[in-house]
Amino acid sequence: MEAVVALERDAQLMLRVREGDDTSFALLLERHRGPVVHFMYRMVQNQAVSEELAQEVFLRVFRSRETYEPTAKFTTWLFRIATHVALNSIRDRKKEKGHESLDEEMLDGMERQVADRQPTVEQEMVHEVKLREVRQAIEALPAKQRAAVLMHKYEGLDYEQIAGVLSCSESAIKSLLFRAYEALRGRLAHMA
Amino acid sequence: MICLSNNEQGADLLAGYLAKTLDSDRMAELDQHIQECADCRGLAMVWERLDEFAVPEVTPGFDARLYAHIAREETRVLGWRNLWRNRLWRSIAPLAAAAALVAVALLVYPGKPDAPKQPGPTQSNKAEIEQVAQAVDDLDLLTPIDR
Repeated sequence: MEAVVALERDAQLMLRVREGDDTSFALLLERHRGPVVHFMYRMVQNQAVSEELAQEVFLRVFRSRETYEPTAKFTTWLFRIATHVALNSIRDRKKEKGHESLDEEMLDGMERQVADRQPTVEQEMVHEVKLREVRQAIEALPAKQRAAVLMHKYEGLDYEQIAGVLSCSESAIKSLLFRAYEALRGRLAHMA
Repeated sequence: MICLSNNEQGADLLAGYLAKTLDSDRMAELDQHIQECADCRGLAMVWERLDEFAVPEVTPGFDARLYAHIAREETRVLGWRNLWRNRLWRSIAPLAAAAALVAVALLVYPGKPDAPKQPGPTQSNKAEIEQVAQAVDDLDLLTPIDR
Protein backbone atom coordinates (compact mmCIF):
# COMPACT_ATOMS: atom_id res chain seq x y z
CA MET A 1 0.00 0.00 0.00
CA GLU A 2 2.81 2.32 0.92
CA ALA A 3 4.51 1.60 -2.42
CA VAL A 4 1.32 2.48 -4.34
CA VAL A 5 0.98 5.76 -2.47
CA ALA A 6 4.65 6.54 -3.14
CA LEU A 7 4.19 5.98 -6.89
CA GLU A 8 1.23 8.30 -7.09
CA ARG A 9 3.18 10.83 -5.08
CA ASP A 10 5.93 10.77 -7.70
CA ALA A 11 3.45 11.73 -10.40
CA GLN A 12 2.15 14.53 -8.17
CA LEU A 13 5.69 15.77 -7.62
CA MET A 14 6.35 15.78 -11.35
CA LEU A 15 3.18 17.78 -11.94
CA ARG A 16 4.51 20.35 -9.46
CA VAL A 17 7.79 20.40 -11.36
CA ARG A 18 5.71 21.17 -14.45
CA GLU A 19 4.37 24.19 -12.61
CA GLY A 20 7.88 25.38 -11.83
CA ASP A 21 8.45 23.88 -8.39
CA ASP A 22 12.18 23.14 -8.22
CA THR A 23 11.88 21.62 -4.74
CA SER A 24 9.72 18.84 -6.15
CA PHE A 25 12.38 18.09 -8.75
CA ALA A 26 14.95 17.82 -5.97
CA LEU A 27 12.69 15.38 -4.13
CA LEU A 28 12.27 13.22 -7.23
CA LEU A 29 16.03 13.26 -7.75
CA GLU A 30 16.56 12.16 -4.16
CA ARG A 31 14.14 9.24 -4.56
CA HIS A 32 15.26 8.01 -7.95
CA ARG A 33 18.93 8.98 -8.29
CA GLY A 34 20.17 5.68 -6.85
CA PRO A 35 17.91 3.34 -8.83
CA VAL A 36 18.63 5.11 -12.12
CA VAL A 37 22.41 5.21 -11.58
CA HIS A 38 22.44 1.56 -10.49
CA PHE A 39 20.33 0.53 -13.46
CA MET A 40 22.73 2.35 -15.77
CA TYR A 41 25.71 0.77 -14.06
CA ARG A 42 24.37 -2.74 -14.56
CA MET A 43 23.57 -1.91 -18.17
CA VAL A 44 26.96 -0.47 -19.16
CA GLN A 45 29.16 -1.70 -16.28
CA ASN A 46 31.25 1.46 -16.11
CA GLN A 47 30.76 3.87 -13.21
CA ALA A 48 31.76 7.10 -14.95
CA VAL A 49 29.63 6.35 -17.99
CA SER A 50 26.69 5.20 -15.88
CA GLU A 51 26.63 8.50 -13.98
CA GLU A 52 26.88 10.52 -17.20
CA LEU A 53 23.96 8.57 -18.63
CA ALA A 54 21.97 9.00 -15.42
CA GLN A 55 22.59 12.75 -15.62
CA GLU A 56 21.23 12.68 -19.18
CA VAL A 57 18.11 10.89 -17.91
CA PHE A 58 17.35 13.52 -15.29
CA LEU A 59 18.16 16.28 -17.73
CA ARG A 60 15.56 14.86 -20.11
CA VAL A 61 13.09 14.59 -17.23
CA PHE A 62 13.64 18.28 -16.48
CA ARG A 63 13.40 19.27 -20.16
CA SER A 64 10.11 17.38 -20.48
CA ARG A 65 8.53 18.98 -17.43
CA GLU A 66 6.29 21.38 -19.36
CA THR A 67 4.70 18.60 -21.42
CA TYR A 68 4.58 15.91 -18.72
CA GLU A 69 1.30 14.03 -18.42
CA PRO A 70 0.80 11.23 -15.84
CA THR A 71 -0.50 8.69 -18.36
CA ALA A 72 1.56 5.92 -16.74
CA LYS A 73 3.30 5.38 -13.42
CA PHE A 74 6.16 7.80 -12.94
CA THR A 75 8.74 5.00 -12.69
CA THR A 76 7.49 3.54 -15.98
CA TRP A 77 8.06 6.90 -17.65
CA LEU A 78 11.40 7.39 -15.91
CA PHE A 79 12.73 3.96 -16.86
CA ARG A 80 11.47 4.37 -20.39
CA ILE A 81 13.76 7.38 -20.66
CA ALA A 82 16.57 5.53 -18.87
CA THR A 83 16.28 2.46 -21.09
CA HIS A 84 16.23 4.59 -24.22
CA VAL A 85 19.39 6.43 -23.10
CA ALA A 86 21.09 3.17 -22.11
CA LEU A 87 20.25 1.36 -25.35
CA ASN A 88 21.51 4.30 -27.40
CA SER A 89 24.74 4.31 -25.43
CA ILE A 90 25.25 0.57 -25.83
CA ARG A 91 24.60 0.83 -29.56
CA ASP A 92 27.05 3.72 -29.90
CA ARG A 93 29.72 2.05 -27.77
CA LYS A 94 29.50 -1.15 -29.82
CA LYS A 95 30.78 0.83 -32.77
CA GLU A 96 33.88 1.83 -30.84
CA LYS A 97 36.69 -0.66 -31.25
CA GLY A 98 38.57 -2.01 -28.24
CA HIS A 99 36.07 -0.66 -25.74
CA GLU A 100 36.53 -1.99 -22.19
CA SER A 101 33.11 -2.17 -20.61
CA LEU A 102 33.87 -3.97 -17.38
CA ASP A 103 34.90 -1.57 -14.67
CA GLU A 104 37.78 -3.63 -13.39
CA GLU A 105 39.06 -1.08 -10.91
CA MET A 106 35.70 -0.92 -9.15
CA LEU A 107 35.60 -4.62 -8.34
CA ASP A 108 37.72 -4.29 -5.22
CA GLY A 109 35.64 -1.46 -3.83
CA MET A 110 32.40 -3.29 -4.45
CA GLU A 111 33.70 -6.44 -2.86
CA ARG A 112 34.19 -4.53 0.35
CA GLN A 113 30.66 -3.13 0.12
CA VAL A 114 29.08 -6.55 -0.43
CA ALA A 115 30.75 -8.48 2.37
CA ASP A 116 29.67 -7.71 5.90
CA ARG A 117 31.90 -10.34 7.41
CA GLN A 118 35.70 -10.54 7.14
CA PRO A 119 36.37 -13.13 4.43
CA THR A 120 39.63 -14.89 3.90
CA VAL A 121 41.74 -14.02 0.89
CA GLU A 122 40.67 -17.25 -0.77
CA GLN A 123 36.99 -16.52 -0.18
CA GLU A 124 37.45 -13.05 -1.58
CA MET A 125 39.07 -14.42 -4.71
CA VAL A 126 36.29 -16.96 -5.22
CA HIS A 127 33.67 -14.28 -4.69
CA GLU A 128 35.47 -11.98 -7.13
CA VAL A 129 35.46 -14.68 -9.79
CA LYS A 130 31.75 -15.37 -9.27
CA LEU A 131 30.94 -11.68 -9.47
CA ARG A 132 32.90 -11.32 -12.68
CA GLU A 133 31.03 -14.26 -14.20
CA VAL A 134 27.65 -12.80 -13.22
CA ARG A 135 28.61 -9.45 -14.74
CA GLN A 136 29.83 -11.10 -17.92
CA ALA A 137 26.66 -13.18 -18.17
CA ILE A 138 24.53 -10.03 -17.84
CA GLU A 139 26.68 -8.20 -20.37
CA ALA A 140 26.31 -11.06 -22.84
CA LEU A 141 22.52 -10.67 -22.91
CA PRO A 142 21.03 -8.72 -25.82
CA ALA A 143 20.44 -5.17 -24.68
CA LYS A 144 16.63 -5.39 -24.41
CA GLN A 145 16.78 -8.68 -22.49
CA ARG A 146 19.38 -7.12 -20.22
CA ALA A 147 17.19 -4.11 -19.57
CA ALA A 148 14.15 -6.33 -18.86
CA VAL A 149 16.07 -8.51 -16.40
CA LEU A 150 17.54 -5.51 -14.58
CA MET A 151 14.16 -3.82 -14.26
CA HIS A 152 12.54 -7.07 -13.10
CA LYS A 153 15.28 -8.27 -10.74
CA TYR A 154 16.71 -5.08 -9.27
CA GLU A 155 14.12 -2.32 -9.75
CA GLY A 156 11.02 -4.37 -8.94
CA LEU A 157 9.01 -3.30 -11.98
CA ASP A 158 6.10 -5.61 -12.85
CA TYR A 159 5.22 -7.03 -16.29
CA GLU A 160 2.90 -4.16 -17.10
CA GLN A 161 5.55 -1.57 -16.30
CA ILE A 162 8.32 -3.35 -18.17
CA ALA A 163 5.98 -3.73 -21.14
CA GLY A 164 5.30 0.01 -20.95
CA VAL A 165 9.00 0.78 -20.84
CA LEU A 166 9.87 -1.46 -23.80
CA SER A 167 6.68 -0.67 -25.73
CA CYS A 168 5.49 -4.24 -26.12
CA SER A 169 2.84 -6.58 -24.72
CA GLU A 170 2.96 -8.30 -21.36
CA SER A 171 3.11 -11.69 -23.04
CA ALA A 172 6.12 -10.50 -25.05
CA ILE A 173 7.80 -9.42 -21.82
CA LYS A 174 7.16 -12.80 -20.23
CA SER A 175 8.79 -14.50 -23.23
CA LEU A 176 11.65 -12.02 -23.18
CA LEU A 177 12.34 -12.64 -19.49
CA PHE A 178 12.06 -16.38 -19.97
CA ARG A 179 14.70 -16.33 -22.72
CA ALA A 180 16.91 -14.06 -20.65
CA TYR A 181 16.79 -16.20 -17.50
CA GLU A 182 17.31 -19.35 -19.56
CA ALA A 183 20.39 -17.76 -21.14
CA LEU A 184 21.71 -16.78 -17.73
CA ARG A 185 21.10 -20.30 -16.44
CA GLY A 186 23.16 -21.66 -19.30
CA ARG A 187 26.05 -19.33 -18.51
CA LEU A 188 25.94 -19.70 -14.74
CA ALA A 189 24.98 -23.37 -14.43
CA HIS A 190 28.50 -24.35 -13.35
CA MET A 191 28.15 -22.07 -10.35
CA ALA A 192 25.37 -24.21 -8.84
CA MET B 1 3.35 -31.10 -13.19
CA ILE B 2 4.30 -27.62 -14.39
CA CYS B 3 7.92 -26.86 -15.08
CA LEU B 4 9.57 -23.45 -15.24
CA SER B 5 11.93 -24.66 -17.96
CA ASN B 6 9.04 -25.44 -20.28
CA ASN B 7 8.78 -22.54 -22.68
CA GLU B 8 4.99 -22.49 -22.77
CA GLN B 9 4.39 -22.73 -19.06
CA GLY B 10 7.69 -21.31 -17.91
CA ALA B 11 7.33 -17.99 -19.67
CA ASP B 12 4.15 -17.33 -17.76
CA LEU B 13 5.41 -18.45 -14.37
CA LEU B 14 9.14 -18.05 -14.22
CA ALA B 15 9.45 -14.33 -13.55
CA GLY B 16 6.61 -14.47 -11.02
CA TYR B 17 8.14 -17.43 -9.23
CA LEU B 18 11.58 -15.83 -9.06
CA ALA B 19 10.17 -12.54 -7.78
CA LYS B 20 7.80 -14.45 -5.46
CA THR B 21 4.72 -12.70 -6.79
CA LEU B 22 2.71 -15.86 -7.54
CA ASP B 23 -0.08 -16.97 -5.20
CA SER B 24 0.95 -19.12 -2.25
CA ASP B 25 -0.48 -22.39 -3.65
CA ARG B 26 1.42 -22.01 -6.91
CA MET B 27 4.59 -21.04 -5.06
CA ALA B 28 4.34 -24.13 -2.87
CA GLU B 29 3.76 -26.32 -5.93
CA LEU B 30 6.81 -24.92 -7.68
CA ASP B 31 8.95 -25.14 -4.54
CA GLN B 32 8.12 -28.85 -4.47
CA HIS B 33 8.89 -29.24 -8.17
CA ILE B 34 12.26 -27.56 -7.89
CA GLN B 35 13.40 -30.20 -5.44
CA GLU B 36 13.04 -32.73 -8.27
CA CYS B 37 13.97 -30.71 -11.38
CA ALA B 38 17.59 -29.76 -11.98
CA ASP B 39 16.72 -27.30 -14.75
CA CYS B 40 14.34 -25.38 -12.52
CA ARG B 41 16.86 -25.45 -9.68
CA GLY B 42 19.29 -23.86 -12.11
CA LEU B 43 16.85 -21.06 -12.82
CA ALA B 44 16.27 -20.43 -9.12
CA MET B 45 20.04 -20.35 -8.64
CA VAL B 46 20.33 -17.63 -11.30
CA TRP B 47 18.12 -15.37 -9.21
CA GLU B 48 20.32 -15.85 -6.16
CA ARG B 49 23.51 -15.30 -8.15
CA LEU B 50 22.17 -12.03 -9.51
CA ASP B 51 22.01 -10.77 -5.92
CA GLU B 52 25.81 -10.72 -6.00
CA PHE B 53 25.90 -8.07 -8.71
CA ALA B 54 26.82 -5.20 -6.43
CA VAL B 55 26.93 -1.59 -7.59
CA PRO B 56 29.13 1.32 -6.46
CA GLU B 57 27.71 4.23 -4.49
CA VAL B 58 26.71 7.33 -6.42
CA THR B 59 29.56 9.86 -6.31
CA PRO B 60 28.97 12.84 -3.98
CA GLY B 61 29.00 15.55 -6.67
CA PHE B 62 26.27 13.97 -8.80
CA ASP B 63 23.52 16.45 -7.92
CA ALA B 64 25.79 19.47 -8.21
CA ARG B 65 26.92 18.40 -11.68
CA LEU B 66 23.34 17.85 -12.77
CA TYR B 67 22.17 21.27 -11.57
CA ALA B 68 25.16 22.93 -13.23
CA HIS B 69 24.26 21.17 -16.46
CA ILE B 70 20.64 22.31 -16.15
CA ALA B 71 21.73 25.89 -15.46
CA ARG B 72 23.99 25.93 -18.55
CA GLU B 73 21.19 24.61 -20.68
CA GLU B 74 18.68 27.12 -19.32
CA THR B 75 21.10 29.97 -20.07
CA ARG B 76 21.57 28.70 -23.62
CA VAL B 77 17.81 28.39 -24.15
CA LEU B 78 17.18 31.92 -22.81
CA GLY B 79 19.85 33.25 -25.15
CA TRP B 80 18.14 31.69 -28.15
CA ARG B 81 14.74 33.02 -27.04
CA ASN B 82 16.06 36.59 -26.68
CA LEU B 83 17.72 36.38 -30.08
CA TRP B 84 14.48 35.19 -31.62
CA ARG B 85 12.48 37.98 -29.99
CA ASN B 86 14.95 40.63 -31.26
CA ARG B 87 14.78 39.31 -34.79
CA LEU B 88 10.99 39.16 -34.66
CA TRP B 89 10.85 42.78 -33.51
CA ARG B 90 13.12 43.86 -36.36
CA SER B 91 10.77 42.17 -38.83
CA ILE B 92 7.53 43.66 -37.58
CA ALA B 93 8.82 47.18 -36.76
CA PRO B 94 8.61 48.45 -40.39
CA LEU B 95 5.09 47.03 -40.72
CA ALA B 96 4.06 48.71 -37.49
CA ALA B 97 5.50 52.02 -38.73
CA ALA B 98 3.58 51.78 -42.03
CA ALA B 99 0.33 51.04 -40.21
CA ALA B 100 0.88 54.08 -37.98
CA LEU B 101 1.43 56.35 -41.03
CA VAL B 102 -1.79 55.17 -42.67
CA ALA B 103 -3.70 55.86 -39.46
CA VAL B 104 -2.24 59.39 -39.29
CA ALA B 105 -3.11 60.02 -42.93
CA LEU B 106 -6.69 59.04 -42.32
CA LEU B 107 -6.89 61.40 -39.37
CA VAL B 108 -5.36 64.34 -41.27
CA TYR B 109 -7.43 63.79 -44.40
CA PRO B 110 -10.92 62.86 -43.30
CA GLY B 111 -13.61 61.51 -45.72
CA LYS B 112 -15.38 63.60 -48.50
CA PRO B 113 -16.96 66.97 -47.36
CA ASP B 114 -20.70 67.22 -46.77
CA ALA B 115 -22.64 68.24 -49.85
CA PRO B 116 -23.95 71.89 -49.50
CA LYS B 117 -27.67 72.28 -48.73
CA GLN B 118 -29.76 73.54 -51.56
CA PRO B 119 -33.40 74.39 -51.71
CA GLY B 120 -35.54 71.55 -52.94
CA PRO B 121 -33.98 70.71 -56.28
CA THR B 122 -36.17 70.57 -59.30
CA GLN B 123 -36.26 67.54 -61.48
CA SER B 124 -33.94 69.10 -64.06
CA ASN B 125 -31.39 70.37 -61.55
CA LYS B 126 -31.22 67.06 -59.73
CA ALA B 127 -29.22 65.40 -62.45
CA GLU B 128 -26.78 68.35 -62.60
CA ILE B 129 -26.25 68.23 -58.83
CA GLU B 130 -25.53 64.53 -58.98
CA GLN B 131 -23.04 65.08 -61.76
CA VAL B 132 -21.27 67.79 -59.76
CA ALA B 133 -21.16 65.60 -56.66
CA GLN B 134 -19.67 62.77 -58.71
CA ALA B 135 -17.07 65.14 -60.13
CA VAL B 136 -16.05 66.29 -56.64
CA ASP B 137 -15.67 62.68 -55.56
CA ASP B 138 -13.46 61.99 -58.56
CA LEU B 139 -11.29 65.01 -57.72
CA ASP B 140 -10.86 63.77 -54.15
CA LEU B 141 -9.52 60.46 -55.40
CA LEU B 142 -6.96 62.30 -57.54
CA THR B 143 -5.69 64.57 -54.73
CA PRO B 144 -2.24 63.35 -53.54
CA ILE B 145 -1.63 62.79 -49.81
CA ASP B 146 1.03 65.12 -48.46
CA ARG B 147 3.50 63.39 -46.12
